[in-house]
Amino acid sequence: MEYSSLLFIYVFFPVSLGIFYVTPKKLRESVLLLLSAVFCGLFGLRYLALLAVYILLNYALALAAGHLRSRKKAAAYFPFAAGVTFDIFALFAFRTEHFSWLYSALGLHRGFFAVGISLFTLSALGYLVDVYDGRIKAEKNIVRYSLFIMMFPRLLMGPVLRYDAFTRIMDKRRTGSQELGTGLTLFIKGLAKKVLAADTLYALYSAVHTVDKGSLSAVSAWLGAVSYILCLYFSLSGVADMGAGIASCFGFRFPQSFSYPMFSTRIRFFAAKWHTQVIHWFRSYITKPFASHIKSQLIRKLIFIGAWTIAGFWYGFSAGGAVFGALMGTAIVVENRLRKSKMLKATGIIYTLIIVTVLSVFLAEGSLAGSMRYLFAMIGGNRLLTDSMTLYLLRSYLVVLLISMYASTDLFRNMLVRSRRRVLRRIFSAVTPAVMLVLLALCTALISADGSSAVQLLRL
Amino acid sequence: MKGIKNKLTAVAVLTFIVFFGAASAAGALFPDEGEDTVIPEITWDNISDGTLGRRLTEGIAERFAFRETWVSAGSRIDSGISGNIVGGVYISPERLIAADVAQRPDTADCAAAVNEFAENYDGIVYFAAVPTSAGVYGDMLPSPLDRVTEKQQTDRLYEQLSSDIRRVDAYNLMKMLSDDRIYLRSDSKWTMYGAYCLYRTVIQKLGFQPVSFDKYTVRHVTDEYRGDLYSRTLYMKNEPDILDIYEYQDGASVTACTGFGNDGSEHECSLYDISAVGSEDMYRLYLGERLPLMKISTDVNNDRRLLLIGSECAAGFVPFLTQHYSEIAVILPEYADRPLDSYIDPDDYEQTLFLFGIDAVKKENLNLTETR
Repeated sequence: MEYSSLLFIYVFFPVSLGIFYVTPKKLRESVLLLLSAVFCGLFGLRYLALLAVYILLNYALALAAGHLRSRKKAAAYFPFAAGVTFDIFALFAFRTEHFSWLYSALGLHRGFFAVGISLFTLSALGYLVDVYDGRIKAEKNIVRYSLFIMMFPRLLMGPVLRYDAFTRIMDKRRTGSQELGTGLTLFIKGLAKKVLAADTLYALYSAVHTVDKGSLSAVSAWLGAVSYILCLYFSLSGVADMGAGIASCFGFRFPQSFSYPMFSTRIRFFAAKWHTQVIHWFRSYITKPFASHIKSQLIRKLIFIGAWTIAGFWYGFSAGGAVFGALMGTAIVVENRLRKSKMLKATGIIYTLIIVTVLSVFLAEGSLAGSMRYLFAMIGGNRLLTDSMTLYLLRSYLVVLLISMYASTDLFRNMLVRSRRRVLRRIFSAVTPAVMLVLLALCTALISADGSSAVQLLRL
Repeated sequence: MKGIKNKLTAVAVLTFIVFFGAASAAGALFPDEGEDTVIPEITWDNISDGTLGRRLTEGIAERFAFRETWVSAGSRIDSGISGNIVGGVYISPERLIAADVAQRPDTADCAAAVNEFAENYDGIVYFAAVPTSAGVYGDMLPSPLDRVTEKQQTDRLYEQLSSDIRRVDAYNLMKMLSDDRIYLRSDSKWTMYGAYCLYRTVIQKLGFQPVSFDKYTVRHVTDEYRGDLYSRTLYMKNEPDILDIYEYQDGASVTACTGFGNDGSEHECSLYDISAVGSEDMYRLYLGERLPLMKISTDVNNDRRLLLIGSECAAGFVPFLTQHYSEIAVILPEYADRPLDSYIDPDDYEQTLFLFGIDAVKKENLNLTETR
């Protein structure tokens, strides 16, 4: 069940919200866990069972590691290492196709996907590391730890949080009409991103990708690449916003994962605003621990690029993903070296967009060879600048593309924030409920035929 | 102000969600008389592999309150913002055209099945692959969508058929007549007039002179037909189609029409089933309920017998054939669950005509020798 499905929006969400609000405050976390179990159970009981085993094992191993560590015993390393090995194994087992024997052994069909495994594995690994390092104490409350892994507003797109940050948010739970209003606004904003923007851009992206790369014109190839990165942004941030909105309705204020990264003026700004908590996780648990003891600038930069390579690989579990990450890391390093260049200052948004778009080809294509052929088409290697298809795509999608580009920036928000005219803000506040209703109705109309918006560029 | 805004948003959105959620849940839990429930059966397999969740998603979509209005509105929005393509169907002002060309299957297995039939058959085999509206009006599709044409697919199939099989060039004929009303606007299938146009060519190949058009009385049975392409888009802006029936008052008439079910049961049938008008599947106006085998006897005294093996488009073709044969057996393999020879002995018929929509040329539809 996706957040952007009629079943979720019109049945599961209002029913679970109702149950949550009528439950005494003391029991609300347990009820939330129960609701999360139902949410996960709709993906299949086998998935729920796997999740239960995953949680119990991590919980027990972290508890053991924490207990042994508090007694300063070196044996704490063993449960820690076992936990890390298990988590990484699970990630590879369910995100690559090399473990068919495991699927057979567990009675899973080939199309099975452990929803959210990439995200909750990062959470579980981070928690294990923090417990082993003594940064936090191992959680004894199984309900709360289970929510940390499988709480349904976080399951599909995070945010990936450190355990202490998660518990702070859980402790500061605040429910009421304010939170409901904020949450529903955020949810509908995310829904619109997913259904109105991402699904439409996906149509443009897939139209370009039906064409043989050997006969693709340069402008069409650029249109395909730009639509892919925008689609990826709206798709991921849409689901993240929906999750954060749902959490807010339940009284939990999770940080937002995407902060208008498109059209950043630097690549490093793009990187800082894109899937913030995930990128932060790789910095906290890979770059920092390895680089902090090293003085050589060159090796530190190589570690930085290595962490980006792993992050890129994490996205796609493909060689293309790793290349995307490695090149992104390299681009940031190079940009930092050229930070004072006047040329960079003048062309900030343009070069950032070009580099991000070009690199995204490695994420989009299934193989490195395919990526290279696509890039060849982008630079005009097919000796075709435009063709009838380009004109058709431009005629059909230019307006959508321009609106999407505008919507991916923070220009509108900044206009409101910086505006000194109270009238403008008041008008915006007055029309917000109506705008939300219209957006919800539009999205409902668009998903009513199939019941959900099922377009997924990346399954995390 | 911000507080009021949030409260108003919460009230408005929650009211909207609860209203439509409750109405949809009521529709799903208490379906109208004659409608099936959309709550899937709860079994261990359903729950364990996630099928239950998927079926519930589909079920709620099926019974969503005011579904038709929502889907129709969705089509309009979709066609407005994404290049006029909704659910794999291209919406043009004149007609709807299937645009999901990538799904067209390979023809080699189908040709092999027909070749095998012809090899073991004593009579003459004819094959007519009928283009869909997407094949004839494919040039209306935006160029990036018009990739593998039905012409190429038909040519490939005809190349793979054995030389003993006589081919009918339906594609070029229909393409030539594309300015006439030969295809429905909201469906991938042809009109009765389209069927008549092909009949004129086919019947000459089969050794007869066609009945001229002016001898038929054309009756409009309904002008409210919306076909399979409409069902995929629910796009209301285009006019619905007219369904006709062709009657030859002074011609041969049908003396008996019997359908046979997979369980051996016999059903009385007719060339035109007027009761289908107004039903969910109005195209069943032609030949009525779909059965694997139908035998049609006429008062034509020439003792000529034809075996017609076909797809859905054959239904509109049969009325024209009744003027030339004393008996016609119609096999619709799509509805059969066992080998062809368990229904009929093909050698009892001196001619066999395969009449398939090119979109129906699939291995499963042409599997004539195996139990399904």
